[in-house]
Amino acid sequence: MNNFKPTDSAEVSAEGRDHGRIPGNAGIWVGIFCILVEFLMLFTVYFVSKAHNPEAFSHGPDKLFTLAGTTITLLLLTSGYCMVKAVKAIRRDEHKVSLRWILGAIFLGLGYPIVKYFEINWNIAHGVDGETGIFYTVYYYLTLNHLVHVCWALIGLGWIAIRTGFGSYTSDNYRGLEAAALFWHTTDVIWLVIFPFFYILR
Amino acid sequence: MIKHTERIWLLLIGLTFAGAWLAETGNAGWPLTLIVAFLIGFKGVVVVDHYMEMRLANRRIRYALYVFIALIVSLVFIGHGWSEFVRQLTDIG
Repeated sequence: MNNFKPTDSAEVSAEGRDHGRIPGNAGIWVGIFCILVEFLMLFTVYFVSKAHNPEAFSHGPDKLFTLAGTTITLLLLTSGYCMVKAVKAIRRDEHKVSLRWILGAIFLGLGYPIVKYFEINWNIAHGVDGETGIFYTVYYYLTLNHLVHVCWALIGLGWIAIRTGFGSYTSDNYRGLEAAALFWHTTDVIWLVIFPFFYILR
Repeated sequence: MIKHTERIWLLLIGLTFAGAWLAETGNAGWPLTLIVAFLIGFKGVVVVDHYMEMRLANRRIRYALYVFIALIVSLVFIGHGWSEFVRQLTDIG
């Protein structure tokens, strides 16, 4: 997929405007929009559950570990920043710099499952599990579903780190790297919705 | 001088801390709903425009992503202001 030459529109640097250019590749956008539709349905489930159980959703965030949710947000946003820098570096053909930013993104991204592990332990220690109430059932279903997508994205980042290490990407052909970065940012966007829904909104 | 990408990252981090502070205050009601809708909408658009660089790329994809964010923000308002209507609409009992 990464060996074909970019289209004419893609040859215009992404630093400049080209409103026809499809970042990454068409395939990644099919995946991204499938995930967005999936989570849109899950968020609808959240609001329908909330409408039927207003009391449970009003007090639900009180028992959750806000620091864990905040830490995950900071990790994902900073990891996303690293991927922005990785894409910018490959556009300058700075392979080693790009690889360092990708590894930084993976390192920070791996913090998410680790924080999640401690958060779930904290929850259980405070009597919060999937059967505590409808709010927590929806919370576990949505957040663990998101975690699965983040794990897929981390595997993708690992793959492009290997390819970047082998010099597979250049300033003329970095669609694979850009596609992985886009998928990673999509997990960011979804978490930016999950965080206020479960930790802030009452 | 702080570069553009770093400014965007700092903005997102700052808004995250503001959200975390808001969570700790335990507030509820319309003001919180408005702030949450703003946080979701604004941060979402910032990530789409600047992290994903969609402000520089294909307009159809960019607008489709905006529609996703707008639908989520709409859900926040509907969930708060019209929850009784949603309950009646989805009642299967």
